This record gives sequence, C-alpha cells and structure tokens, in this order.
Amino acid sequence: MGLLTDPSVGHGALTSIFVRHHNRFCIVMYIVSVALFCMLAHYSLSSQTYFSENALLPGLVKGQLNDNTGSSFRDHYRELNAEAEHFETETPHSYLISKFKNLRLETYSHNFTLNYPLKKNTKYTGRNVYGILRAPRSASIESIVLSVPYRAPSSVFPSTLPGLAVMFQIAQFFRRMYNQIYWAKDIIFLVTEHEQLGMQAWLEAYHGTSCGSPGVLDSGKLSGRAGAIQAAINLEIHSEKIDHIDVKLSGLNGQLPNLDLVNLAHRLCNKESVKHTFNNVDGGAIGRNKVNSYYTNLSTMLSMVMTQATGVPDGNHGLFHRFGIEAITLEGHEKEGRGIYSSVLQVGRVIEGMFRSLNNLLERFHQSFFFYLLPSTDRYVSIGLYMPCLVLLVGALFLKAFSTWIQHSTEHKPGDSSAETTIPEHLNVGMVSVITLGSHVVGLLLLPNLAPAYFTHFWNYMPTHRALLLGYGSLSLTIVCILPIIMKKCLNSFKSSNWVLLHVICLLELGIGLLCVSMHNFSLGYLTALVYVLPAICTKSSQNSLIVKFLWLLVHPMCSLFWITAYITYTAYPELPITDYLTKVLEASGQWMVLSTVDNMIYGNWAFTVGVLLLLPVWTAFWCLMFLPTIVSKKMKTE
Amino acid sequence: MVLVYKMSTKSLWLLFIFIGSSYSETYSEELFIKPLATGYVYSFFQFTVIREDDSFKHSTLFPHSLGDIIDRFHVAELNVDLTSGLWKHKSWGYPAVDAPSGAEISARFHNDTQDIDKHWYGLTNALSGLLCTSLNFINSANSYESSADRVYRYSNLPRENVCTENLTPWKKLLPCDSTRGLSSLLNSGRVHNANYHSLGIHFRPLCNAGKCKYELRQTVSLVYDSIFISFNNNYDWSLRKMFGTGLFKTCPLADYSKIYLDTSSNSSVPYLISQEPDYVLKNNIAVYNLNGIFHLSAIVPRPKIVVSELRPLLYTDRFITGFGQEYGGLVTRIYNDHKSAIIATVIENIPWFLPIYYHTLKVTSNGIRVIPKALIYKPGKGRVRIYYLEIVLELAPRSVTEISVQFDYVFLKWQEYPPDANHGFYIGSAIVKATIPRNATSLTFDKSLIIDNLNSTGDDYLICLKTENFIITLPTPDFSMPYNVICLACTVVALAFGPIHNITTKRLKLTTAKYVPGLASVAQKLYVLMETIFMLKTKKTGKPTPVKVFTPEELSYHPTLGHVSEEFMKNKGN
Repeated sequence: MGLLTDPSVGHGALTSIFVRHHNRFCIVMYIVSVALFCMLAHYSLSSQTYFSENALLPGLVKGQLNDNTGSSFRDHYRELNAEAEHFETETPHSYLISKFKNLRLETYSHNFTLNYPLKKNTKYTGRNVYGILRAPRSASIESIVLSVPYRAPSSVFPSTLPGLAVMFQIAQFFRRMYNQIYWAKDIIFLVTEHEQLGMQAWLEAYHGTSCGSPGVLDSGKLSGRAGAIQAAINLEIHSEKIDHIDVKLSGLNGQLPNLDLVNLAHRLCNKESVKHTFNNVDGGAIGRNKVNSYYTNLSTMLSMVMTQATGVPDGNHGLFHRFGIEAITLEGHEKEGRGIYSSVLQVGRVIEGMFRSLNNLLERFHQSFFFYLLPSTDRYVSIGLYMPCLVLLVGALFLKAFSTWIQHSTEHKPGDSSAETTIPEHLNVGMVSVITLGSHVVGLLLLPNLAPAYFTHFWNYMPTHRALLLGYGSLSLTIVCILPIIMKKCLNSFKSSNWVLLHVICLLELGIGLLCVSMHNFSLGYLTALVYVLPAICTKSSQNSLIVKFLWLLVHPMCSLFWITAYITYTAYPELPITDYLTKVLEASGQWMVLSTVDNMIYGNWAFTVGVLLLLPVWTAFWCLMFLPTIVSKKMKTE
Repeated sequence: MVLVYKMSTKSLWLLFIFIGSSYSETYSEELFIKPLATGYVYSFFQFTVIREDDSFKHSTLFPHSLGDIIDRFHVAELNVDLTSGLWKHKSWGYPAVDAPSGAEISARFHNDTQDIDKHWYGLTNALSGLLCTSLNFINSANSYESSADRVYRYSNLPRENVCTENLTPWKKLLPCDSTRGLSSLLNSGRVHNANYHSLGIHFRPLCNAGKCKYELRQTVSLVYDSIFISFNNNYDWSLRKMFGTGLFKTCPLADYSKIYLDTSSNSSVPYLISQEPDYVLKNNIAVYNLNGIFHLSAIVPRPKIVVSELRPLLYTDRFITGFGQEYGGLVTRIYNDHKSAIIATVIENIPWFLPIYYHTLKVTSNGIRVIPKALIYKPGKGRVRIYYLEIVLELAPRSVTEISVQFDYVFLKWQEYPPDANHGFYIGSAIVKATIPRNATSLTFDKSLIIDNLNSTGDDYLICLKTENFIITLPTPDFSMPYNVICLACTVVALAFGPIHNITTKRLKLTTAKYVPGLASVAQKLYVLMETIFMLKTKKTGKPTPVKVFTPEELSYHPTLGHVSEEFMKNKGN
C-alpha cells in the first residue's frame, strides 16, 4: 500500500534496472512465455482428468440398447436412405414428422427465415423437426437434447444419415421399452436443417431471443418446449462401420463445454470399447515413447488452440454453450478398408450411457472446469497453468509502457527550467486524444453491421466477397498511405521531442484488450498476442527505424489475414503456380471476411469485432505514432 | 316420542347420535376411467362425504382430524392438491381437478374471521402435519390474497415432492381406510409410478336457499402410460395392470360405489372390454355398480395411423426467455381455438427473487398489442411479498395471446439458497380462469358426485388451468469459495488499513528519510559491480543512463507531495 502514497517508488533501485533494460526483459518474457506454452503439453504440467460431479455415476448401469425388439438399426437406416434418395437437396420433413409420431414422441416442427444481411431481399427458409419424450418422473422442468444435423445427399459434407438412424433407434428404445420409467428429464430429439443455421434458429426460438444483429435471423416460434435444457449431444455419424468417435468441443467464440461432459463421453466410449479421439488423435499412449507422446500431445493441443481461436464452432454443439447448455459433438468417422471397427449399436450404447448419466444429474454442470486445454483425451491443462503464458506476454507490454513512462518523467525531471509549466503541453494531450479517438471511430464505422452492407451496395455488380475485400482493402490502404503524409505535413506545429503519452496509451490498450479477449477465448488472445506483442515492443515513442515501420506494416490486421490464408492455401494446394496461388489467396481472404461478417451478424461471433475494434485502432494509433513529427534533440544529434 | 322418554338418558344420547349422523352424512366412492389419446389411461378416484351439520365436533364418516382443523381455523372452503408430473392439456384435454406440479393450497375463511393471516399460517402448519408435506414453508413471501376477496388465501410450493409419505396419511382420512373399496386400489408402489398423479382434498359448503351442506371430496388423478404397464406394444390396460390388484370387497360404509368408463375413444379405435357394463350413460359412458369381486380389462390395438391430437379449446404455454443471468423474460401464451371470443383471467404470482419490470408488461394477441380489460398489479417486496399480477383479457377467436414481462435475476443472501443450489429455483404456475361452453369439453366436474357431473347440462363451465412450472438459475456462488474470499478480503483490508489509518490520523512532518539498505539496493550494487566487470572485460564505453536514480539521501519529504528530491525542495524554497 506504500505504492499508493510514496512517489519515490518509481525511482527505486529495482525500478531503475527494469527501466534501463526493459527491452531485454520483454524479450526474455516473450521467450519464456512461448517455452512455457510448449511445456504445457508435457506430462508434468497437464493432469489426469477426473469426474468432479459425482452425481453423473458414469457407466454404473449396463447398456441395454439392442437390435432385438422393434425395428432394428438396419430397418431405420434402409428406410431413411430410401427416403433421402427421393429428395436430392431437401429435407424429408413429412417423413421425419411421421417417423417421430410413430415412435410416440410429441412431435413439432419449427420454421425459420434468414434475411441474408449482405444482400437485400435475399431470403432463405428452413424447417427443423423435433420430438419430445416426456419423462414420466418429472413435470417437464428439465431436458436433454440429442440432435442430428440433416444433410441431403447433395451436401458437400459427409452424410449424417447413420447418425439419424441411431437417433431413431435410441428414441424407439427410450420410448417403447416397457422398463424405461426412470427418465426424470425430458429428452428432445432434434433434426436440424442447414447445418448451424437451423440449430441457431431453434435455440433462439427456444429461448425467445435473438443473438445476432436484429432482423437478420427470424427464428420463428416454437409450440413445444421442455423446460431448461441441461445438456446436449450432437451426433454426426458418417457410416455404419465406425473407425473412431471424435469428441468435438470448440464452441462459438471459443467457449468450451464443462470438462465433466467431455470426460463422460471418453469414459463411456472406453467402457463400450469404442475407439475415441480428440482432434482425431487417439489418447492412448501405449506404444509411444516419451518424446513421441510429447509431440503428439503438443500437436493435439496446438490444433485445439487453432480451432478455438477462430471462434467458429466445429459442430452444432458449439451454439448451445452461450445459453449455458453444456454440449459436445460425437463424430463417428468411417472405417475404411478392413479391420476392427465399432458398430453403431456400440455407439448407441455410449449415447444411452451418457443420457442415463445426465438423467442422474441433480444440479446443472458446475463442478468441473469450463476453461481448459486438452493435450490428449485423458489429460487437461487448467486455466491456472496456461494463463501465465499470456500474462507474460501482456506483462511485457505493460513493462514497456511503464518504463517508457518512467523514462520520460525522469528525463523531464523537475529542476529543468520551466519544467512545471511545460509538462502538460509537452504531452500533447489534445492531439493524442484526437488520434486515439479517431482511430476508434474508424474502427466503429467498420463494424460488421455497418460497413459491409455499404460496401456490397456500392460495388453491387461484383460478388460479395470481392466487394468486401475491395472495401476493407482500399480503406486500409488509404489509411496506411495517407496517415504518414498528414502526420508529416499538417502537424508540424505540434512538434515535440517524443509522443510518450500516445505510445503508453497504445501499449496499455493492446495489453488490456488482449487480456480481456483471452478471458473469453484464450486461444484467440494468445495467438494475437504472439503476433502483436513483439512488434509493439520494438516500437519507440520517437525515431522509429524503417525496419520497425516495415515490421508494423506486416502485421496490419488485413495483412495478418492475408498471411494466414496464404499459409492455409499453401498447405491445401502446394503445387499451384504463383499467379493462381495469389488470386486464390485473395479470393479466400475475401471469402473469409464475408463468412466472418455473416457469422457476426447471425450468430454473434465476435472474432471480426475484435479485429476491427481492438487491433485496427491500436494498429492505426501506432502507425500515427511512427510518423508524428518530432524534434530531434541536440544532444542526440551530437552523439 | 313416548318410547324415547322411557329410555335411559345414556342410550337416548347414543340413539340421537346414531340417527343424527346417519341422516346427516353420506359417503360415496367413484372411479372414472378414460383412455386418452396416444395410449395413456386417465383414472380419477373420488371419495365424497357430504354432511349437513356445520359443526365438526362429532362425525362418523367425516375425518375427525380434518374436521378439527376446519373448525379451529374457521375454514369455509379448502383445496389442497399434491401433484407430481405435468398435466398436458394439449393432448389430454381437461382433468377433473387441475393442479400444478408440487403442492398447492387455497382456502377461504369465514367472513367474520378477524386475523386471517394468523389462521392461514395455522391452517397450513396443521395441514403440513396432517399430510406430511412442507406446507409449513408457506409464508407471506409465497402466498397471496385474492384481489376481490379478503378472506381468500392461495399458495403453491412447486418444489414439493409428492410420495408415499403423503399418500398414507391421505388414505387414513377415508372412512374405509385402504382395506376395502376403491381405495384398496391405491398402492403406493403403483401410484408413484404413474406419469401423473395428484392427491387432492377439497372441502366446500354447498348452499341452497340458506340451507348448507358440507362436502369433502378426496380425489386421486392418475395417468398411466399403457406402454409401461402392458408389457407389449398395444394400448392394453386393466385394473390389475394399473393398480397391481383387482377389487375384492366394497366399502360397506359407502352409499354407492361405481366405476365409470369413458368409451368415447372407441369410435376411432375399437377395443374390447372384459365386462359388460350394468348400464350405459349418454351412449358412451359405461357404468359398473360394485358389489363384490370385480375386475376390468381392455384390449386396445395400437392404431395404425397416429390420430391427430384432439386439442381442447383453451390451453396455455409458459416459458422463460433470454439467457445468461442478468435479464430474463417471462412469457405466458394462451391459445384460444374457439370460434368465439372468451373472457379469461390470468393470475401470475411471481416470487420476490424475480423482480419484474411493470413497464415491460406487454399483452399481444396474434402479434398485435391489445389492452387488457382489467389489470391489477401489486408490486412485490424483497423477502416479504410476491409480485401479483391479475389480468382480465378478451381472447379473440382463434388467437394466440401472449403476456410477456421482463425481470431481473437477483443476488440472494448466501443462506437463502436451497440445498443443491445449482439445481435452480422453482417458479410456480400461473393460473388461467375462463368460462367455456359446457359442450366444448366432454366432461365437467363441478358437481359433487361424478354421476351428477356426467348427467349435467348447462351453458357455461368454469375451467381453471394451471400452467407448467419451470426452474431458473439465479447467480449462484461457488459454495466452496467463501474461505478463499474471506482470506482475500481480509488481506486487502489489512493492507489498506495501515496506510489509510496513518494518513488520516498522523500529522505529516518534514524530515529527511533515513537510508536503509534493502534487498533492491544490494541487487543494484551487485548489478553495477557486474556491469563494471563486464565492461572492463569488453572495454566498451557504456552509454550514459537516461534514468536519474535518486538515492534516498537526495530525497526529502514534502508535506503534500511526499518524498521529493532535495533539489526540488531547494527550488521550492527559492
């Protein structure tokens, strides 16, 4: 607390060391952070997963799902296939409705409309079908969801029909077998259309809200509900012969489901001896040596970080998380060739086990971790371990800001002639606030629900993605080119030896922004920090060298986007000639921007907002800083 | 009269009671069975005692324990329902007694009763003892008085679980207990396996031209899913399958015992009944008089085509909107499928921990905003009073009326969380009262006996719908954290206390700070040493440091600025 009252603190011995060598400290912190992050995948820093919620009682009962009573899985599957062939591009709604009714479920359908935000008067409609199994032991207060996205044969994604057949089989078993009186939570069997759009519309309608921009997704009304949804499982099973079940977690904006639910899936797969993976990597370390298993863990963890950082859910489960519903996707990959495979019945028993465990739950999931990284199916890294990596990076920014400030205040120490009167002018508060405010206003104008519509309207003769790319690209180019000229020519009267205040504000804003982002989505925060912290540390409050300027230009948000797409395109199509490659990268960047804006307006994904409201303003402010007119002091010159 | 005079006083007394009671009390047992759509079977038991005497000091059939309570607390009318499960109006139609899940109690006291609240809490406490329920949790924060009626009180406890412990004392109130008659069908094992079960006690006066009778109806509603009881894929049912036993002896105290079977669904799905009825009422209700051993079973084939659900005229839907734990909304929808308008009264009683914003109250009919005919709103008060909202509406023909209101989620005191706090908080049902044409529903239940109801004709019928309950998640603390929080808070307070106390209580004086070599200065000296050695080795000329480090000797203390340099002080002096 002496910190609050003692102004001599900034002049202590330790401080002076920090101030003098802050650049070295920053670099060390950066390196330590990266090293620590890579270490996280190691056996000694991750821990074995366990169940926090004892009420789950996983695998305590024997799975009873079988093919002996009623129609078998094959009957359902054959019927479904025959039905799907009739509708090349559509969903057979009437068939699904009658099927659910036949299974004695309370059946409803739900219509929704999407008013495509980037083009006027473009509408898409869709229809979900769902059936509710009313639990005999409750008053429809809580429920669990089992969902399958319906994919017509023309879909580019692998078929989910086997998953739908499994759902029918399970619904039939849960509803028609005479001894199933233990259900205490309603079970909703949901078939959605148009991938995530249908799911989002259903969830919005269920909760009577709208998450994206108003008027974009008209989610319609539901006529049947089943209380508060406690958990959801999304099924994507691609084949009758299943090689492995991949458990997918990443949700919208990097939200993750409770670790207990993830553990539950892995534990029950283990019990039914179904091969289970995370990010398509098997968790079992048998047969791998230590080094190998470390690299596997590291790559698994990195791929999780990459998926999470995009903020785009990797399955329909990801949309549930926002509503406080824990959800995962079980994706069954097809077994190719010969060898041991798991039958759908085994997978069905896994789901049965999960539902019975969830049925046991008295309280909603709250015990286990919500923030974690998974290096393997059975190990986790808790938030307490991974957060220091980011804190080190952000700490470097803060250290830089702190020492710049201290340096400045000691340079102009009292005793200089007319020190007291010149200090406020010296900081150029007015100009600095104009620059920071201006850069943020530009950011606000570029928000996904303002600028894109204007761009597409302006260049309405070209495809949306090109219009967007052109719009954002030209605007960024203008800022990049014009700002230095303005700064040089027009602000000569504001000459000062350096612009510490602006520098410190930029550094602090970047640091605080990154911390806030990583609180919600660690992966996004950390990856952004990895890119931006190093160049930001290299900047000075005045006299930035050409290399720094060039480096800073390279990390312009648009450029970063370009580099990322360039890398992804290269890994996908390594043998393309250079011109084709470049056009492809440009097209892909444009597409990415369109997807990102549309995601923002429909689902409320804020990856684009972070770029526009945090990175772009900070970048612009730094860019201004580099070109602000400065007086080169005589002292420095003589040296 | 002469004969009576000759008897001794004692036997006269006995005879008087005998004659009196046999004239004043009647008892009847009835069971009404109705197969519902999609394979459910609804059975409604009603045990009715009607007496003429308004004092409950002496009775033969009327349960004495209940009579005492009614007398003592000046109760004029009483309804208690203990329910588990949700009645689905949309697919099952209207029940005989509509009760929300959990416990529900309402009472009307005699008009001359002085301290109604005292009697109300006394009554609920007494009943909680009588029925082994948690009615003793009723207080001002979860009960309300009717806007029109000073002597009426209502409360519901949606969290209440109904189980054997409630059924056993309930059965003890019956004249034949559970040994004989229809009540022998009520085995706790079977009753609580039903998809919906509701126990009820309904006491009311029946007054006609100044002459009053008192009616006590004990009711049980059960809905079985034929899939769970029939062990095959048909919609078969029988008394034995539902209740685990047949009927062997009738209750000799009952004036009549009857079973009614609604066979109206026979027209769409023909089925076979094991026994021919004694007679048939209104073409579709088979009546069986009970005397001796009786068994009833039905073989119902599963329909090939799923019959579309027969929807009642008026049904409701209620849910919570929004997500997160900041704001939420409460929506009650009322569907009117009738071809003419219906006047309905909606009563919302929202607990105090969901403070509603009255200005957000919105009533829409088919999406168009409408103005209610009447509206009574009594704002709630934290921990004391519920938010009471009574709306009278005209429901347009074939319309969906939506009443929505926004609310806040409240932070509770840590002791106010129930056990299993993360389970959520129960919000009780809303009540919708409306008058519908009598012919719109196949059965009505406003007369004393089921037989009278089956024969009844008339114009209007008052229905009272109870909507579903739901749970909400209030911001719930992690109850394992208080220790950490206490530690953290105490540390912060302790650290802040010292300097603040110093600054506020001590007078600041100008002194020269003494230099105490600390760890930092040692580190600095070491560092300088290292640096000189390093520089000597590389023979580099070091840059002049831009930072001026003040040694503590150079620092002085300024009354307002604290430690400042000597130079500063000198300048100041000049």
